[in-house]
Amino acid sequence: MLTLISTIIIMKKIKYSLLKAIDITGLTFLAPVVRLCYGEEPQVQFKKIGQWIIVPLIAVFIALFVIYDGFIVDTFKTKSGKLPTSSKIYSSYKSIDQLHDDEIAKEKAYNLSGEERVEELKVVEEKITSAEKSLEEASKAVEDQTLVSKAETAKDVAPIQAEYDELKESVKAASAARDVEMKLLAESITPGDEAAAQKLLGLVRADDAQDTLDKEKRNLTKEKINLILTKKSPALQKRKAEETYFSERLAFLKTYKTLLSTQNKSLIIDEKKEKIATYEKELASLSGADALKKAKSIVNQESVISKKEESEYAGSKTIWYQVKRSVLCVFTGFFLGSFLAIPIGIFCGLNKTFMAMMTPFIAIFKPVSPIVWLPIILILVMGAFPNPDKHPFMEFLGELPLLGVYKINPAFIASAITVALCSLWATMANTALGVASIDKDHMNVARVLKLGFFARLTKIIIPSSLPLIFAGLRISLGVGWMVLIAAELLSSSEGIGKFVFDEFNNGSSDSLAKMVVVVFIVGIIGLILDRIMVIFQRLVSFEGAPATI
Amino acid sequence: MKNKKFTTLIMSAAVGAMSTGLVHADQLDVEKDSLKFGFIKLTDCAPLVIAKEKGFFQAEGLQVEVVAQPNWKTLLDNVISGDLDGAHMLSGQPIAATIGFGTKAHIVTSYTMDLNGNAITVSNDIWSKMQENDPKLDSPTPPHPITADSLVPVVEEILERGEKLQLGMVFPTSTHNYELRYWLASAGINPGMYTKSDTGGRTRAQVELSVTPPPMMPATLESGNIQGYCVGEPWNQQAVAKGIGVPVTTNYDIWKNNPEKVFGVSKKWADENPKTNIAVTKALIMAGKWLDETDADGKLVNREEAARILAKSNYVGADYDVIKNSMTGFFMFQKTDKREMPDFNVFFKHHCTYPWYSDGVWFLTQMRRWGQISDAKNKDWYIKTAKEVYKPEVYIAAAKLLLEEGKITEADVPWETDGFKPVTKDFIDGLEYNGKEPVKYLNSHKIGNKDPE
Amino acid sequence: MSFLELKDVDVSFGPPSNRVDILKDINLSVEENEFVAIIGFSGSGKSTLMNLLSGLQLPSNGSSSFKGKAIKEPGPELGIMFQNYSLLPWLSVGDNVKLAIDRVFPKLSKTEVHEKMLHYVKMVKLDHAVDKKPHELSGGMRQRASLSRTLSLDPEVLLLDEPLSALDALTRSELQDQILNIWESDKRTVVMITNDVDEAVLMADRIVPLTMGPGATLSKEFVVNMPRPRNRHTLNDEPEFMRLKSEITAFMLGLNKESKEMKSDIKVAMPDVQPRDFSLPIAAPRFSHLQSKHISPNAN
Repeated sequence: MLTLISTIIIMKKIKYSLLKAIDITGLTFLAPVVRLCYGEEPQVQFKKIGQWIIVPLIAVFIALFVIYDGFIVDTFKTKSGKLPTSSKIYSSYKSIDQLHDDEIAKEKAYNLSGEERVEELKVVEEKITSAEKSLEEASKAVEDQTLVSKAETAKDVAPIQAEYDELKESVKAASAARDVEMKLLAESITPGDEAAAQKLLGLVRADDAQDTLDKEKRNLTKEKINLILTKKSPALQKRKAEETYFSERLAFLKTYKTLLSTQNKSLIIDEKKEKIATYEKELASLSGADALKKAKSIVNQESVISKKEESEYAGSKTIWYQVKRSVLCVFTGFFLGSFLAIPIGIFCGLNKTFMAMMTPFIAIFKPVSPIVWLPIILILVMGAFPNPDKHPFMEFLGELPLLGVYKINPAFIASAITVALCSLWATMANTALGVASIDKDHMNVARVLKLGFFARLTKIIIPSSLPLIFAGLRISLGVGWMVLIAAELLSSSEGIGKFVFDEFNNGSSDSLAKMVVVVFIVGIIGLILDRIMVIFQRLVSFEGAPATI
Repeated sequence: MKNKKFTTLIMSAAVGAMSTGLVHADQLDVEKDSLKFGFIKLTDCAPLVIAKEKGFFQAEGLQVEVVAQPNWKTLLDNVISGDLDGAHMLSGQPIAATIGFGTKAHIVTSYTMDLNGNAITVSNDIWSKMQENDPKLDSPTPPHPITADSLVPVVEEILERGEKLQLGMVFPTSTHNYELRYWLASAGINPGMYTKSDTGGRTRAQVELSVTPPPMMPATLESGNIQGYCVGEPWNQQAVAKGIGVPVTTNYDIWKNNPEKVFGVSKKWADENPKTNIAVTKALIMAGKWLDETDADGKLVNREEAARILAKSNYVGADYDVIKNSMTGFFMFQKTDKREMPDFNVFFKHHCTYPWYSDGVWFLTQMRRWGQISDAKNKDWYIKTAKEVYKPEVYIAAAKLLLEEGKITEADVPWETDGFKPVTKDFIDGLEYNGKEPVKYLNSHKIGNKDPE
Repeated sequence: MSFLELKDVDVSFGPPSNRVDILKDINLSVEENEFVAIIGFSGSGKSTLMNLLSGLQLPSNGSSSFKGKAIKEPGPELGIMFQNYSLLPWLSVGDNVKLAIDRVFPKLSKTEVHEKMLHYVKMVKLDHAVDKKPHELSGGMRQRASLSRTLSLDPEVLLLDEPLSALDALTRSELQDQILNIWESDKRTVVMITNDVDEAVLMADRIVPLTMGPGATLSKEFVVNMPRPRNRHTLNDEPEFMRLKSEITAFMLGLNKESKEMKSDIKVAMPDVQPRDFSLPIAAPRFSHLQSKHISPNAN
């Protein structure tokens, strides 16, 4: 009984902190759910849930599955085929994700040793056998389907091709006949006979017009043939997709197997150690130059082993790695930008002369697009790190505990600086405004308390302008995120931007679907970043604070 | 692996006399074992990708990351800056960088990645006009080679309108630029000269050549900004697959077995990592050999697997079907015109991976021909410059080790060559090329700069 | 020499061509430990007068002095309690008070500061709301928090700018008592501005009326000769209280009438538009507004 009561009390307490958390994060659509769970005015809550949760869900559902899948996909065609349906987009997402899992598995396999390796090897071999069988079946299906589709296409093309050939022949014949006619006329003309000359001219004109007409007709028919040839049979596409899937699985399993066997780290090291052991035995029986050579060999191989022991699996970069690196890059740029923007903004707000001094720079640099900044900054950064591999700063970054994995290179730094340069303006403007619009009374308090400059800054000016500064930071982060994608695309700094560009470059049949997946990933991360900033903004806000811009 | 050990030992004893430096078949103690190589999404990056995916790099004790680059300029910049250890490069790139046309940096190469592999594609519209001009072309399978003769009236017609035919190529110092220019010039079309002030190469041009990154070619053609382009695979097959253009000729017809891509590293990197350089070259030779492996009937056995690997989105990423065509020795000129072209991509045959000085000299002659090299040079300069870039000694060192390990045969490598290929007339215009007489060759062209011998 | 003195002070704003006098010929001297109330209509320049005394505003002409020295800048010794509380909204009541204590007693340890803060907060009976933010408080509570902060400065002069104007009658009388208690238990000089005659008579030793602006000035003062402590409940029975109250009220109403007559010529130009007879616009610019307006177009 007592526990029940205490639970109720705790639940009651939680309710308000829950609601407060919802309010701060701005996820207001969750509030009616919480209230409903506590049985508060069910009818009102149901209405709100309908309004804020069910209606948007229905809208998304209709937009995606009815309007998009139903109409847009069918009506809009690109040169590389139809637009991807939502299920295609989802399966693309799965395949991108699969690639990520595969890379992790490969890395694990490379480092696996002992009993575990042997066990895993057995499992893989079984899997390979079954995958080979599936692939064989799929390939067979493709072959059969190809024959069927080819026959179909041939059947479709044949009558048109016949028509085309016929047309070509008849046109040729007609044209030859006209040529003969014109030739005859031309030969029969006596010089000075204007009427006959005019007649000839008319004939030639008619011939030319007819030629153009015929050509158009022919092209039209040809176009029809091309259309049939370009059309991809959906059944064949499906079979081919299956075949691709199985062959990719098989390729992965095979690589996985080699990583567990011939390319396995522990195995290679063991083998080399064995080799050294035999060398050492041989060394004992040698003398002179041979002995020296052998000794050198041993030392050489020892060094190879020590390097191998430190070596890591070099996999390819997958989407989640790229996402993490992009987020890291945007925050690097964002902090860099804020680090500049906030102090400058404060001085602008405090001192009108300084503001006047900064205005031309702000006015000129603010509208410059990231596309312009990036190449310039790339050149500057490359100049600053002529030999990035050996540069102490880069080495320092490479050895950082959590960030080392992300291989911070000049392209990363250039992207981050571009983000900073494009995003700092909102923060700067908001900070200046926030500082300049401090309540006069609050400044009077500072005067009465005789606060020094620094105390005034930390106790009055900054706290008072924080809501506006954070409003600016929020805009900056949003801008930065958008800029980053473009910057990565140009600098080929590993990240989502590069993923999109690579996919665009691939131009394969599922590239479009993968790019759409990225749209959602970018959108969702952008949303999360924005929410984080909203929370901060609300936490520093106070009653009567200047409104968000 | 293990049972080969004895044969290896015997082999090493046998070749020991002729090999100079390293005699034992131990894995090289490389200076740097974690490497990052760049590539452009083209099928001829295959040796790099295969060396990684098939474990040839790992076999040399190297952990290699292979990263796609957006364009040739960025790729070169990344190699110069050291962000990349090496990269898949256009043959002209290391030479141009070394002589200082464009970005100046000393780049060296000790491995030629492939022969051939490019094609010139024109838009459907230009193709139908070419067909009008030459009725022979108006057939599902027109006779090859197709010269630019039927393009001449089209160029003239556009010039009369006060415009120029817009053609795309991938880089000012790329093979594509020189091949496209060669093809046009052989029909008397002036593709334009580079001068000191005109770095776009459009002086006296009858057509306008512009730079577009390879993967962007089909999209640029589709959008109508260019009417044709010269590029590597799969971007010509892509045009056919999408039905937006027609490949009219491959560079096999322009110059039979012409060098295409090289594996380039900066001189500095090569000097700092001599053993790593040899190890990388070893792995690449193995990859090239794997790619060109044939069965008893001469059928390429590994190309389908290679196409599957290249079709992965982190490599070339185009559809398998598109990549498969050219990689397995076929080329689709039109939907109706699929031809067998076993030598469309050569990765190992004809001793092609050896870094020939004569290849470097040819590119230098073309650079001089079109004015990228602004001053007249003598014969010795051409050969000296080629020797600064092409480093067969590294290749030979790597090949020797492989031979000792029994991984290649004696016939795979031109051990005794002086670095110049035999004199050839296999060009679309039938001119004779002798790498030892660059100035004479330069002067034999109708269009382009001529120098005193 | 008085403790706190204004001598022939003028305060005016604006450019010379369009100069507006807010205060003119102000002469005021306050003795140590005296409680002076300044009474006036809204808009007559009372707050400007208060700013003069606190040093927030310097006179255009004349001199202001405290303990014989000219007042050049504000400081904790002239503890002003602002009309609109001026509590820092991002700090709790306790932190607002602590901010003041930290400045005046920089050498105290954290716990000492806390104790001192509690002392001052208790003084205004606000100890239950130490951790509340100003926006969580009622008007009277904010007023008390503001008073507590001013007291914590341990000022030699307490300048109260209409401290009770925004409050309802009950809260108001309660706070009046509190202020009086504090003043009586811990004597110091107080200058209080008010618009309430009862309040002035109840609390002050001396009442100085401020005439209507522009160019407002201090007129004849009234001395309150009533014994302390004064009891508000019995006050209405005291003839002296009634006399002072009616006298001051009459004087103030006279001022109002005078001002109306002065304004009559303007009224001809704008007949019967104003629902109320006075409430003169003050030409004094509001700086904070001007500043923010000036800055926002650029900042955006």
